[in-house]
Amino acid sequence: MGDIVVLVKPALNPDMVRTKPDGTIDIDAIPLKLDDIDANALEAAKQLKSKLGGKVIAFLLQTWGPVAKRARDMRMVTQEALARGADEAYVISDESLTGKDQIVTAGVLANAIKKYAPNASLILVAEASIDQTTGQIAGRLAAKLGMPFISYARSLEVVDGKIRAERDVEDHIQVLEASLPAVVSVTQEINEPRPPTLLQIRRAAKKPQHKLAASDVEPIPEAKKVPLEYRILTVTRKQIIIEGDTLEEIAEKLIEALEKEGVLNL
Amino acid sequence: MVKVLIVEGSIPDLRESVSAAKLVGGEVVALVYGKAAEKAEEAAKYVSKLYKVATYVPDPIFAAVKKVYETEKPDIVIGHGTKNNRDVLSRLAGLNDLPMATDVIKLEPGEGEVVYERGFLSERAIAREKIPLPAIVLVNPKVFQPAEAEGQAEIVELPVEEGQVKLVEKKEKQLSGINLEEAEIIVGVGRGFKKKEDLKLAFELAELLGAQVGATRPIAADYKWLPEDAWIGISGKRVAPKLYIAIGISGAPQHMAGVSNAKIIVAINKDKSAPIFKFADYGVVADLYQFLPVLIKKLREKKKS
Ligand SMILES: Cc1cc2nc3c(=O)[nH]c(=O)nc-3n(C[C@H](O)[C@H](O)[C@H](O)COP(=O)(O)OP(=O)(O)OC[C@H]3O[C@@H](n4cnc5c(N)ncnc54)[C@H](O)[C@@H]3O)c2cc1C
Ligand SMILES: Nc1ncnc2c1ncn2[C@@H]1O[C@H](COP(=O)(O)O)[C@@H](O)[C@H]1O
Repeated sequence: MGDIVVLVKPALNPDMVRTKPDGTIDIDAIPLKLDDIDANALEAAKQLKSKLGGKVIAFLLQTWGPVAKRARDMRMVTQEALARGADEAYVISDESLTGKDQIVTAGVLANAIKKYAPNASLILVAEASIDQTTGQIAGRLAAKLGMPFISYARSLEVVDGKIRAERDVEDHIQVLEASLPAVVSVTQEINEPRPPTLLQIRRAAKKPQHKLAASDVEPIPEAKKVPLEYRILTVTRKQIIIEGDTLEEIAEKLIEALEKEGVLNL
Repeated sequence: MVKVLIVEGSIPDLRESVSAAKLVGGEVVALVYGKAAEKAEEAAKYVSKLYKVATYVPDPIFAAVKKVYETEKPDIVIGHGTKNNRDVLSRLAGLNDLPMATDVIKLEPGEGEVVYERGFLSERAIAREKIPLPAIVLVNPKVFQPAEAEGQAEIVELPVEEGQVKLVEKKEKQLSGINLEEAEIIVGVGRGFKKKEDLKLAFELAELLGAQVGATRPIAADYKWLPEDAWIGISGKRVAPKLYIAIGISGAPQHMAGVSNAKIIVAINKDKSAPIFKFADYGVVADLYQFLPVLIKKLREKKKS
């Protein structure tokens, strides 16, 4: 019926935040990784592929520069997307597209999908990313592509050529159905992706990768968000490891410490 | 004068957004759906004009949002970052290439722009940014004080227009009704627990301490070992107990952001290199299955004496 597009974000790794001497964040020094829930989206695509017939095509836009410095990170994220089930990948890297905003990200990805994946029947996006966590790319994209949109899908199936999703809302679940092509954002609960096997990694190396520049995905919209400052949230926890020869001793010391803090109601 | 359109699905969210709106704008109108639409009379007390659409389904909410946006031509659209709001307002943003700020924890008015702060890098950091108007701003809960009732605005009911996506079924989620936000002590459980029955260790500890039991996302949302209102973190609840005891929890930033306001954090984890120890006041490196029974016994002895 058509290809499945999966958006894969090369995201800043929040477990490896680096700061400059003045306490502001050194963005350029934070390594990139494949965004967490994008791995769930790739897994979902792999599972739906047999029902929809086509290929799984990953689209990656490099939003964090400098491009030259991050070439290795971008290669690794792309390889991982291919190892996790994408059949081919389009990688958009261009200095002029880094450091922009979600208007640019959604605009560029919409143009790229229209041009390079015209047969897409399903576009999978993650509910939110680990660096920006704005959760707005899927909805923007659906509006730009004029496709039906289902957000926060916790499960997905193809029923009579339509996509059916359990949509997670705060206090209830909606079962929704849309005709294809459609844009769907998935939650972390949709599946449990496993790390790729050695064989999958080796096979990934042979899959097609297409490099794109800004000129391939025009027109580029104008960014409107202006960053003013990024600063670290300092944690001031005591970080005391309670040690002892026996668990009894450790338990006693812990209780004593918490009583001293005045936080136990015994 | 800056005109604000509020979009919300509940009255408490609406009241907080009215306060946010007053900070940056003059005239405040609102579109309510879901629970807030069921209580439209109440909602109408907080704004100068109220639109309502009686549905919980995104497509008809989006159709109504689009219509009100076009009629009212607001400078700023404000709402909480709930799932329905993110769904419909990100579409509105895409349609008009509007800038959209999310998870906002601080908002400042400007000339033809808004300056705001929000969580960044899974809330390990704060980003300060500005966007020109017209713009959309999604605020975090409990950042703004609930506004007080002021009058009784005119209510305009909008039709529920079906879109391309059809509702097949609505299922209720099992919720426990516990109020973690009010708890003084919380025992948090993570994937270090191997099966649901083992959580009784945590419940036993909680009972001794007069605590409530909370959980990481996988325990509540994925395995469903606990109701979803036990889910703590950036996509769950934000809590502020005086004591948080994290058991079998790795310390992912998305979870820890939900407990950053706890006074004291204790971590029990068998892996001494687990990130949680960097975000805890007191750490115990031990297998929870061996340590919890001992801790429970010691607490019991203490309580008796
Ligand atoms: C956009 C986004 C939003 C998210 N929102 C949230 C959120 O709101 N809340 C949330 O919790 N998560 C959230 N997550 C998920 C989060 O990233 C982590 O995956 C999750 O918090 C991990 O849960 P955990 O600590 O229970 O499990 P794990 O990370 O698997 O950790 C289990 C820990 O248990 C320890 N352990 C194992 N056996 C034992 C034993 N016998 N005794 C003692 N210790 C043991 C292990 O050493 C390990 O450290 C979000 C993720 C994303 C990407
Ligand atoms: N630069 C990007 N390249 C590919 N996909 C992206 C990019 N940015 C965002 N996405 C997709 O949109 C999701 C949500 O991102 P965000 O709006 O930043 O929370 C991500 O998890 C990806 O699926």
